[in-house]
Amino acid sequence: MTTYVGARVPRVDSVEKVTGGAVYGVDVAMPGMLHGAVLRSPYPHARIVSIDTSAALAAPGVEIVVTGRDFPLLFGAAIKDQPFLAIDRVRYVGEPVVAVAAASEAQAQEALDLIRVDYEELPAVVDMRSALDPDAPLVHPDLHTYKRGPNDIVPHTNINTLYTYERGDVEAGFAAADVVVEGEYSAHAISHVALEVHAAIAQYDSGSGGYTLWVSTDRPFLLRNELAAGLGVDSSRVRLIVAQVGGSFGAKGVPVAEAIAVALARHSGGRPVKVEFTREEDLVASQLRVPAIMKLKTGVNRNGLMVARSAEVLWDSGAYTAYTVGVAIRGSQTIIGPYRIPDLKILSRQVYTNKSITGSYRGYGTTQVTWACETQMDEIAVELGIDPVEIRLMNGYEEGDAYLNGQIMRSVGLRETIERSAVEIGWGSVEREPAPNLRRGKGIATMIKPTMTPSSSNVVINLEQDGRVTVICAAPEIGSGQDTVLAQIAADAIGVPLSDVSVPATDTLLTPYNGPVASSRTTYHMGNAILDAGGEIREQVLSLAGEVLEVEPETLEMRDGIICDLDGELQITLKDLLAKFYGEYYSITAGARFSSANSPLLKADPGEEWMSSIFWMLCTQAAEIEVDTDTGVIRVLKVAAAADVGKAINPMTVEQQIEGGVVMGLSNGILEGFSYDNGRIENGNLADYKVATIMDIPPIVPIIVESVHDEAPYGAKGVGEPAAAATPPAIANALYDAIGVRIRDLPITPEKILKAMGELEAD
Amino acid sequence: MMIDLDVTINGVHRHITTDPRLTLLEVLREQVLLTGTKEGCGVGECGTCVVLADGKPVTSCLILAGDADGVTIETVEGLATDGVLTEMQQAFVKTGAFQCGFCTPAMVLTATAIFRENDNPDIEDVKKALGGILCRCGAYPKILEAVIEVKGEGT
Repeated sequence: MTTYVGARVPRVDSVEKVTGGAVYGVDVAMPGMLHGAVLRSPYPHARIVSIDTSAALAAPGVEIVVTGRDFPLLFGAAIKDQPFLAIDRVRYVGEPVVAVAAASEAQAQEALDLIRVDYEELPAVVDMRSALDPDAPLVHPDLHTYKRGPNDIVPHTNINTLYTYERGDVEAGFAAADVVVEGEYSAHAISHVALEVHAAIAQYDSGSGGYTLWVSTDRPFLLRNELAAGLGVDSSRVRLIVAQVGGSFGAKGVPVAEAIAVALARHSGGRPVKVEFTREEDLVASQLRVPAIMKLKTGVNRNGLMVARSAEVLWDSGAYTAYTVGVAIRGSQTIIGPYRIPDLKILSRQVYTNKSITGSYRGYGTTQVTWACETQMDEIAVELGIDPVEIRLMNGYEEGDAYLNGQIMRSVGLRETIERSAVEIGWGSVEREPAPNLRRGKGIATMIKPTMTPSSSNVVINLEQDGRVTVICAAPEIGSGQDTVLAQIAADAIGVPLSDVSVPATDTLLTPYNGPVASSRTTYHMGNAILDAGGEIREQVLSLAGEVLEVEPETLEMRDGIICDLDGELQITLKDLLAKFYGEYYSITAGARFSSANSPLLKADPGEEWMSSIFWMLCTQAAEIEVDTDTGVIRVLKVAAAADVGKAINPMTVEQQIEGGVVMGLSNGILEGFSYDNGRIENGNLADYKVATIMDIPPIVPIIVESVHDEAPYGAKGVGEPAAAATPPAIANALYDAIGVRIRDLPITPEKILKAMGELEAD
Repeated sequence: MMIDLDVTINGVHRHITTDPRLTLLEVLREQVLLTGTKEGCGVGECGTCVVLADGKPVTSCLILAGDADGVTIETVEGLATDGVLTEMQQAFVKTGAFQCGFCTPAMVLTATAIFRENDNPDIEDVKKALGGILCRCGAYPKILEAVIEVKGEGT
């Protein structure tokens, strides 16, 4: 029995967020702080011949000027390829070259104009295909010398990630198939557009040699380690205190403003330095979704069964790898989709280009590959004359099916997500032509996503003398309702009122290690750790109560702070019990670590266990759209989105994630996109880079599917990422249903639609 | 050169000496230390800096400090009284009309202003009024639920 888990309780961060009390990274200010500003590269690729900062240093209010040579060490999650500030060479338009700190922001900005940098322009690689040319300029000629993890690179080329996978005999599979469908699909660069821009305050303590930062991040420990690598100090010498995060979606995990802030703070004599990006800097010089070009080929039998698939994926990391290597590997696997296909072959390559850095974006590669997979699935259905819903049900994973590596998959509610989203959209009937220039259609798309595996979470829970509970963990609230869900789990695990539970802010000095608040992993991993530690607190309390009441602890239970016997008769309240022991027991504390590493669920074919996921996320969306055949403009009329979340700890926050994912997916799919001029982003502002407003949003029906996961806290998996991925292909498939136009490269713009319609007429 | 402003902020009359190059947003956040009003772009494109000026929603990043002289300003901090949330704030809490919360001050203030003018507004008019404020978390459906919640009780 649970009191709070499964209930639609208001979020614990409600009051601070509706009253303006929530303090975000950009809100933090300190007395005596300096303000930093950055001079950035105007070229996509150039050698830095000389830098003269003397006039800037002499300018009013200026205290510090630093350049790349002051920080020679490189950082990077998988490949250490990036400096805090460019050293001798710039690799994209917007790369930081010189940083200045002054008494005021205006003085820092004015000083930038006084810096002279001489560049010698180099040939640039501004297109991912041409990055593969044998004679392409090298973005990183020293790639082979960089420290890196176990991923493969191709030395002396622009290829920073090479991943291949093969199972069965894909050529034989194609030869035996009745039909082979082939296509090339592309997914574009997208900005996360967290409304809170990148910002950080850093302070250096020369006595201890330690750094303290006030930041807004979803990956406190990874960010800390990256900063420490660039500074050349032990990781625990960098302390991150995490404020409220004004949106992340994968953006706030690599050093961005933080790198500039620590570089300046290192030389500020102990004064804190604040760096806050402009919106243009945030759009152009933080990180973007990794663009991808995907060649996909699928062999199918006449009856609809998929028999073979090959995929060739090219990813564009931009100038530095950041978190893209994992995207290029894990994302490529997911292009197989949630389907049983015996013969498979994947070639994934990622290249450097002289463009803005890319990295993790809600779904970690899933939004890109789902576009290819689900668009082609629709083409296959059309080719065979099979209903798009039917063909997905026919090939889709079921409970107990084996994943690519032989892992037996549990908690697989795919079928229910497909069936319920189809029913909700009214699959099978459509009012084709509501007006002479309007056509309507319906489309469906599904997706699968693993979570980061293995990974671990630590928690310390403290029960205070007054009965209040503090859940000490490094799981920053990035907007997803994480604090609420963790507090609900803690309240039930211990047996205290939700209003007595608090989840304080993350501080890497005080909160024990947790993996990132990413990969939709927090509820599962931190939830399990909290169940464990909370259970121990509960046992200690009941043992204490047994002593006081002179009964066996096993004859007692606690719920909502009230201790009863097994018949439900009140024996004592928790607060009264703790009051009796004032002075003797000051607080009751328990800690726990949860790791998914040793779960029997991960068992797979020898050598391929690393491809297992501790849980699998599945989401299907059905969309109805209307297209204006005169203008090519799409209006989305309705989206039904069904996500298999295992168990909804809080149905309201799950709905928030599903609805928010659809809004983001719709925006990504039909509104957003950058225009480039020789690698330079031309629309680095929110007037020209369009993000969906409340005016663009159709009715969205969130559908919660609960295929309970046996090892999850109360059965709950994850939900944050999946909902953004299936929306663009669902819309594109509905467009095909409406007017027979197939768009294979994102975004789906009126121009592309009109052009494709013209081609149709020409046929 | 500095300028003097007489403004009423959240019901409190203030005399403020400030730099005329600053915007109302900067004065509110950096001088009056009311950081509930957020900056998302600084150039009037995202709507997160909305405050009410003489009751009307305005993007405070586009108003120079001098133009705020004599104006009555309301920010999100001024809505609740003695810790009691307004009806609109309560509706946001109940329906879950926020996620990261960064756009919430602007959304709550704008929605509040609409209902002061008309306690039974047309939903399409509400969407138009909120259409200039971006919410990247995509809380829009639940923001509309919150508005409908208030509309239901107000009629």
